[in-house]
Amino acid sequence: MIVLENVHKSYRLHGGTRKAVLRGVNATFSRGEAVGILGHNGAGKSTLLRLISGVEFPEAGHIRRRMSISWPLGHAAAMHYSISGADNARFVARLYGKPVAETVEFVEDFAEVGQYYRQPVRTYSSGMMSRLGIALSLAVDFDCYLLDEVVGAGDSRFALRCQAAMLERRERSTMLLVSHQAETVRAFCTTGAVLKDGRLTRYEDLDQAIAAYDAG
Amino acid sequence: MGCRPAAAARRHCQAVSTPLRGPDSLPQQLRIQVRVIGALLLRELVTRFGRENLGYTWIFAEPLILGLALGALHHISGHALPGGLPVVVFWVTGYMPFYLLRGLLNRAPGAVTGNQSLLYHRRITLLDVLIARNLLEGAAVSGAMLIFLMGFGMALDFWPDSWGTLLLGMVILLAMTHGAALILAALSIWTEMIDRVVHLFTYLSLPFTGSFFMVFWLPSEAQQAALLIPSVHCFEMVRHGLFGTAVPTHYDLTTMLTWVVGLNLSGMLLLRIARRDLMV
Repeated sequence: MIVLENVHKSYRLHGGTRKAVLRGVNATFSRGEAVGILGHNGAGKSTLLRLISGVEFPEAGHIRRRMSISWPLGHAAAMHYSISGADNARFVARLYGKPVAETVEFVEDFAEVGQYYRQPVRTYSSGMMSRLGIALSLAVDFDCYLLDEVVGAGDSRFALRCQAAMLERRERSTMLLVSHQAETVRAFCTTGAVLKDGRLTRYEDLDQAIAAYDAG
Repeated sequence: MGCRPAAAARRHCQAVSTPLRGPDSLPQQLRIQVRVIGALLLRELVTRFGRENLGYTWIFAEPLILGLALGALHHISGHALPGGLPVVVFWVTGYMPFYLLRGLLNRAPGAVTGNQSLLYHRRITLLDVLIARNLLEGAAVSGAMLIFLMGFGMALDFWPDSWGTLLLGMVILLAMTHGAALILAALSIWTEMIDRVVHLFTYLSLPFTGSFFMVFWLPSEAQQAALLIPSVHCFEMVRHGLFGTAVPTHYDLTTMLTWVVGLNLSGMLLLRIARRDLMV
C-alpha cells in the first residue's frame, strides 16, 4: 500500500519565484490496483511519480510506502549512458540482489535491442532506451510499477508485450500510469484519477475519470 | 521551504524512508548498504576505465606516471633535503597522498551532478556514491604507492620503517578527505560555484597541505601554525612510517581523529539536508 497525505511540492524558478506543482495530494493505492492518472501537460504528473518513487522529496506532507516501488519508467532514467545495456543489467542485478547471469539474459530477451545490448546506452534510440528501462525494472520484480507515458513511446508490438507483462503482474502488484491520453489509460488501467490544479481526484470508475478529464 | 530545521527534517525523513517491506533490521540495512556500495564500485570501474585498452590497469597508471615524472625531475635537479632524506623517495611519497587528497576534493562536486540518474534507485544514497568513488580512488593511489615502495626497495634498498604507521596515516588522510568531500558535494547542490572554487583551492593549497615539506624544517612559530592544518598531521604520520626516527615528525592522533569525525558528521548531515533540495 502507498499512502499520500497532504503532499506539497513546488519548484524554484529562475528569478527566485516558486511554482507550486502539487498543492495537497491525498491518495491511497492498494495492492492489485491499476490506476490511470490523467493530467494535461505541466499538471505535475511526472513530479507526482518522482515523489512516490522517492527520487525527490515532498516539501510538506507524508508518503508512506508498504511495498517496493519501481523508479518512474519513462523515456530515460535510472540508466547509465556510458556503459552498455548488459552492464546496466549487471549493475541492477547486484544492486537489488538478483542473480547476475539470469538478469542479463532476461533483460536481453525482453528489451530486444539486438546487438546494441553490448554497446553504450548513449548510442540507443529513445525507443530502445525505454525498452531497456522497462526490461530492467521487470527484472527486479517490484511490488509497484510507476509508468510515465511510457507505453505509447515504444512500437506497438513492444507495447503489447509490455501490456501482457503488466497484466500478468496485476494480481500481485500495483500499477500507476500517468498520461495525457485517455486511450493509453484505458488499455492498462481499471480505475482512474485526474490531476488538476495540483490536486488529485480519484474515481472508482474509469469512464467517470475520463469524462471528468475531457470536461476540463 | 525545502531544507528546514532538524526537527521538521527528521519528521519528514521518517515518513519518506519507510522501508520497502516491513521494518528492516539494522543488519539487513547494513547488508543492503554493503551490496549497494559493491555494485557502485564495480560500476565506477566500468564507467571510468572501461574494459578495453588495458582497462582497469589505468587506475594505477595515472598516479604512477605523474609520480615517476615528479621523481625524475627532482632526481635530475638534485637538491639535497634537510635531514638527508632520500630525494626521490621524499617527493614521490609526498606526491601520492597529495594526489589522493586533490582527486577526492576536485571530483566531489561532480559526484552529485554526474550520478543523479543513480538516485532513481531509492536504495542508493549520495553517501553511498561518494563512499564507493573515494574507496576506489583510495585503493588506486595505495596501489600506486605500493608499486613505488617496492621499486624503491629493490632499486635503492629503501624500505619503510613501519608499514602499519604508513598505512594508518594514509587511511586517516583518506577518511579526513572523504569527510571534506561530503561537505563539498552537499554545497555543490546549492551552488554551482563550488566546482570552480574547489579546483582553484586545491591548486593553491599545494604548498600548505604538508605534502612537500616537513614540520621540523620550519621555525617554531610556523610549526604551530602548520599543525593547525589537519592534512599536515597525516603527511607527518606517513613520513614517520617511512623514515622512522631518522627525522623528527610531529603529529597528534587525537587531533587527526577529531577532524575525521567532525568532517564526516558535518558532511553526512549537510548531504542529508541538501538531498531534499536536489531536483533529479
